Amino acid sequence: MNTAINISSGPHVRDRWSTRYIMGIVFLSLMPATIVGVVVHGLHAFLVILLSVVAAVGTEALFDILCKKGKSYLDGSAAVTGLLLALSLSPDTPLYAPVIGSIFAILVVKCCFGGLGKNFINPALAGRCFLLISFSNSMTVFKVDMVSSATPVAELLAGRAVNVTSMFLGTSNAVIGSSIAALLLGGLILWAFDIIHGEICFSVLGGFTLFVALFGGQGFDPVFLAANICGGGVVMGAFFMATDYVTSPVSKLGQMIYGLIIGVLGGLFRIFGSSADSFSYAILMGNLFTPLIDMYILPKPFAYRKKALARQSGQPKVPFSKRIPKSVLVIALITLLAGAALGGVYKLTEENIREQKEKAAWQSYQAVVPQAVSFRAIQAPDIYGKIYGTSFGRTMINEAVIGMDETGKTVGYAISTTSSEGYDGNITISVGISADGVVNSIAFTELHETPGKGMLAADASFKDQFNGRAVTSFKLLTGAAEASNGIDCISGATVTSKAIVNAVNAALDFFNNAKGVQ
Amino acid sequence: MEVTFRGGVHPKGCKELSRQVPLTRFDAKGDIVLPLGQGIGKPAKPTVKKDDVVLVGQIVAEADGFISSNIASSCSGKVKGIEKRRTISGASVDCIVIENDGQYNMVEGIGERQDLSSISNEQIIAKVKAAGIIGLGGAGFPTHVKLAPKDPSAIRFIIANGAECEPYITCNDQMMRTEAEGILEGLEIMLRLFPNARGVVAIEDNKPEAIAAMNEALYKRHADNRIKILPLKTKYPQGGERSLIQVVAGVDFPVTKLPADVGCIVDNVGTIYAIGRAVAYNEPLFTHVLTITGDAVKNPANFIVRNGTCVSELVEACGGIKEGVTLKKALSGGPMMGFAMSTLDVPVVKTTNAVTLLAEDGVEKAEAQQTNCLHCGRCTTVCPQGLLPQLMADAVHVGDLERYEKKLYGLECISCGSCTFVCPAKRPLTQIFKQTKAEIMAIKRAKQAAGGGK
Repeated sequence: MNTAINISSGPHVRDRWSTRYIMGIVFLSLMPATIVGVVVHGLHAFLVILLSVVAAVGTEALFDILCKKGKSYLDGSAAVTGLLLALSLSPDTPLYAPVIGSIFAILVVKCCFGGLGKNFINPALAGRCFLLISFSNSMTVFKVDMVSSATPVAELLAGRAVNVTSMFLGTSNAVIGSSIAALLLGGLILWAFDIIHGEICFSVLGGFTLFVALFGGQGFDPVFLAANICGGGVVMGAFFMATDYVTSPVSKLGQMIYGLIIGVLGGLFRIFGSSADSFSYAILMGNLFTPLIDMYILPKPFAYRKKALARQSGQPKVPFSKRIPKSVLVIALITLLAGAALGGVYKLTEENIREQKEKAAWQSYQAVVPQAVSFRAIQAPDIYGKIYGTSFGRTMINEAVIGMDETGKTVGYAISTTSSEGYDGNITISVGISADGVVNSIAFTELHETPGKGMLAADASFKDQFNGRAVTSFKLLTGAAEASNGIDCISGATVTSKAIVNAVNAALDFFNNAKGVQ
Repeated sequence: MEVTFRGGVHPKGCKELSRQVPLTRFDAKGDIVLPLGQGIGKPAKPTVKKDDVVLVGQIVAEADGFISSNIASSCSGKVKGIEKRRTISGASVDCIVIENDGQYNMVEGIGERQDLSSISNEQIIAKVKAAGIIGLGGAGFPTHVKLAPKDPSAIRFIIANGAECEPYITCNDQMMRTEAEGILEGLEIMLRLFPNARGVVAIEDNKPEAIAAMNEALYKRHADNRIKILPLKTKYPQGGERSLIQVVAGVDFPVTKLPADVGCIVDNVGTIYAIGRAVAYNEPLFTHVLTITGDAVKNPANFIVRNGTCVSELVEACGGIKEGVTLKKALSGGPMMGFAMSTLDVPVVKTTNAVTLLAEDGVEKAEAQQTNCLHCGRCTTVCPQGLLPQLMADAVHVGDLERYEKKLYGLECISCGSCTFVCPAKRPLTQIFKQTKAEIMAIKRAKQAAGGGK
């Protein structure tokens, strides 16, 4: 009767939690965001999600089979990675993207480092950033009602108001899993099932909010803060990505430090950076700090903590007022100092940068109105710095100057305009117009488009098209079409071309309306 | 208000299988086998030889050295010999084998009420030593050593451990219900040794009957008003020595210190009962309580069992293994800290407080679900010592014993199994730590030996 007895080391009972159980709960907690995403964005979004999950699980299965690694694809972690990746993509992503992203996330970031639990950065985020870098053209296309436009964060970065309510509900112009309400519900599910705890989420959100409030230039304006928190994957990052067990520290103190690092970096990138996807990078950088934190931030066992040592030697209890955890104060101080230092550097260099910009602008005026020896600014404070007109997209007139020769006679006008609809942020140009309305030439003072595509705008073949033409507005031509006021599009850079034409047209329009003004 | 320690887990109690089964005395029919080493310390030296006739309660092996304990015969009969036998831990050790004549003739004088009014502290300790009492909770540390700390006046608490946090086991529950007065008597005797100590009977609140019985006995006896009954939250490992001291005295202390160093003495209620019997009735320790339980056994039961009784005989008395069920695992003790037995044909020793027979092997099931560590940190939140099991296991994995010991305090692990219980990746953490601790201790001993030789 005793032959079937197993021998093993204890404990001989285990609780019901398993890796698959945890992954199941995480998957479940992402369901609200998934459902909202599919309902709002439709079939294409569903296909993106489906392909991403299938590709992730399939990649891991293939790897397991080829490398004889057991059946780790069944543990659910690959499916979660696939789903997270899909939710952080645009609903209009071309269908090959989630597949490539998932394969990269699973194969390179996870499997090649040893599979589950061995990856040093979050695979889904790494996959996303891989896609952002590799296919930036198609990754940042967001359409609502078939009109391509910028994400709320891009709007925020350009200094415009956004609709916080639609961000909260997930109907705004962002990634599939952008419904803050659904994400919060998911976070609540994770918390209720004891999968995540407050340390990471709240230190991420806290660090981010504090930084944005201190250095965002709008103080503790609740709408501004809410807009910043609701956009750009901050909530998804705080609840689902920063909390990834594998790439976050073990100790509670370590988790708080890690969370603050992510929060502050995220805030820094948001306020002083130009990319709308900066929060992903902040989390990835936080991930890289994890091994370091785990190496040095180790809580002592109960028996070696100060209080316990005091009790062991019979010292009385320390009153609560003297027991405020020092670590909390230290971290708060470090965060504030780091933030202040970063902000300070920015403030110090801000003046310099502004001067440089001004100088560059004046140089460009000289370049586009070469006959002039001196310039005089046109005063139009109601127009400068605001969206100009209705037919030029989001284009602003920055400044307009009148160029004069030695005798003080007007020889031309230089108008600086900025379109924020460039492929990668703002494009600022100076348009030189002669006194009789002929475009002399244009010069770029701010242009950071895709190399080899948008950057070709600075080539003579594109920008010299404007020279010497007297029209009231230019028209961007695509294909073989022709028009007297036509401008040939840069091949593969329609967005950039369009932004530039809009900027020039705005300048011409301003000129035509304001040339009487002296 | 629920009193408890930090960390801990909630394994399924499974105590309903046997908690209402009253204690019954079980007299073995077969031979009695008494291993010479029954607890911590040096094995005892036999004082009988082959063909000697022994009586119940007769000392058949004497303590060899300070940390060692006497062994009394639990039956009457003829000594068959002293031979190697397999014991409950799986090792083959020297055992005194006694042919049980079934008469159970006692040594004269055992069970007679003694006058305790004039007994001195030294006499109490001597009687405890003579009775061969060791910690019955599982560790088996000789009790007379525990009762003689450097400074008896520094002892603040004597904790009677009736927590019984290990799943399945119910014998102490039943014992507290039926022998409450005996336990209190033992505790009173212990308190005589320590003028500044208070007695605390700690019981988990899943044993309301035991708590009521102890309270009633306390009231009836007009017992020493230094004693109180303390209900505790039901949580594993509440009955661990360190957990109890944390709760009762509010002190955490490192493994390099003993409970006495922080003013505490912790003894299982069974041990305390045995102290009472030894001092008040001159009765050596030859019986103790034991639970035979598990989902594979027909009628789980609580027994007062004679030391050296064969486990399979006890299982037969419970109706054997259920029909249609295969016995997958037999455990000496409960499922958390108990260890697996390879056969049931082994004798129970003083520290055997349960035999759990399971139809399902949790380890086997867990191994099928094993994955890499997720770093979820559940082990950290449940560790009653405040350790970081996942990092400890990582350190062992890369062979960094220095980090394991110095930075992660790996030697503080009490092998309670909580981390392994909750691990979703089903990693055998406790096993890794047991091995690593043994390895580090072996290295230390080797170093010490090398240093001593110079």
